[in-house]
Amino acid sequence: MHDSHPSPPAGAGHEHDSHHAYAEHAPHVNYLFIFILLCICTILSAVFDLLPSKRVVTVLVLAVAVAKAQFVMRYFMHLKFEGKWKYVLLLPTAILACGLPLALAPDIGLHYYPPAIPQLQYESGARGEGAAHAAEHADEAHPEGEHPDAEATAPAHE
Amino acid sequence: MGLPIPNSKLGMWLFLGTEIMFFTAFIGTYIVLYFGSVDATGRSAWPTDTSITHINILAGAINTFVLIFSSYMVVVAHEAMGQRDFKKAYKSLVITFACSCLFLGIKGIEYYGKWSHDILPGRIAETDEEALHKIVRELDGGMNAWVNDLIPGDAPIHIKQGVTSQVETAATELATVNTQLESADRGAREALETRQAQLEALVDNADDVRAWQELNREFNSLRDKVSQNSITLDQAKDVLHHLEGDARFAPAVSAVHHPQPILYGNIFASTYFLMTGFHAIHVIVGMILFALVLKEGDRLNEKWHDWVENSGLYWHFVDLVWIFLFPMIYIIPGI
Repeated sequence: MHDSHPSPPAGAGHEHDSHHAYAEHAPHVNYLFIFILLCICTILSAVFDLLPSKRVVTVLVLAVAVAKAQFVMRYFMHLKFEGKWKYVLLLPTAILACGLPLALAPDIGLHYYPPAIPQLQYESGARGEGAAHAAEHADEAHPEGEHPDAEATAPAHE
Repeated sequence: MGLPIPNSKLGMWLFLGTEIMFFTAFIGTYIVLYFGSVDATGRSAWPTDTSITHINILAGAINTFVLIFSSYMVVVAHEAMGQRDFKKAYKSLVITFACSCLFLGIKGIEYYGKWSHDILPGRIAETDEEALHKIVRELDGGMNAWVNDLIPGDAPIHIKQGVTSQVETAATELATVNTQLESADRGAREALETRQAQLEALVDNADDVRAWQELNREFNSLRDKVSQNSITLDQAKDVLHHLEGDARFAPAVSAVHHPQPILYGNIFASTYFLMTGFHAIHVIVGMILFALVLKEGDRLNEKWHDWVENSGLYWHFVDLVWIFLFPMIYIIPGI
């Protein structure tokens, strides 16, 4: 189902064509149903957040987000009813969009900070020592009770 | 020849293509920083505890609903435009505009929460030591602002701080200055009047000035301990708690934020404000697009069909971005 009318000239003729083109080619979609589906998906996201497994929550919540994006793109943005030009236009951007995180992942995502992070090194007085050495001896250097900062600098979510 | 769509729609889709790359750059960067910000065990230590980051999941969920509903209204408006039901289209666009205002209002409340807790880029203490220095810095700022209010005039802060030591003798000296003013020539009058204003402030605010002096002694003690590294964050919190309990010190102590170190808090705040801020700018642009249609009022006609369609595409994209920002920033916990 394609929107096949040519590029419209300016003026009243274009308005007329535009209207008729819409009347002829307008997709028949129950938008209210799509809206309700999107609401259900949003509620599901909030409910999934209550699950105990963090990994499961992450997968489910992202899956719901992808489903919602599908609904919006396919029906609200009418991509389901557009011609093949949509692939020509959107595939290159999608590839480039995926490329950036993939390109950043090796240097930033995997090695942005070494396991012995600068903040913890600074706190433990291990500045100047090798990162691995600091990580190995962190507990030794600051036994429980002696170093009050250890708890505060622990990961917030743990 | 060419693609079988109007030029305006092609232009909008090309623009949206660039927008996809714009936002995925942010989202992709957020993801790699999330996994790259590790603790000593190599696991992600990205701050996700909402009691620390002050992320408001309910506000995010409501905003998600608001944007979805506005997207629905836009598509209804577009359909109504095609059916030449301009009144219905207008009403739908008014609701969309109202939804965008509501979205920004809720976002503003969220931002205020971050502001009031100082969850701002470059301002978050990431270690206990940084938190201790932040307490000193903020208390110093609060005390300077307080003494600036207590002592009138444009004198530098250190001069005003010195003036507070004269609180006990201020009444006597004020009588002398008043007498001198009666016979002073024009040249000496200005300096005497400045002095008179300072002394009057000391007399009028004597209790507050004494409280400032007392707090200053506490502050100097705390600052010395912090600089000598002879106080822990918990001990400093106790001192702060003690000071907060004395209502006289409120003008200065209220400037100190709760000292909570947040590991990777600054980069978290940077990415949070970058992504949600640019999204909010896009919402504002969408509002402008809809406002231009709404100003037509009863004159809305088929001429605006393509405008509504293309604005609608843009708005759906704004919704689309939020669909991913909501789980990523608000829901996904540390893994």
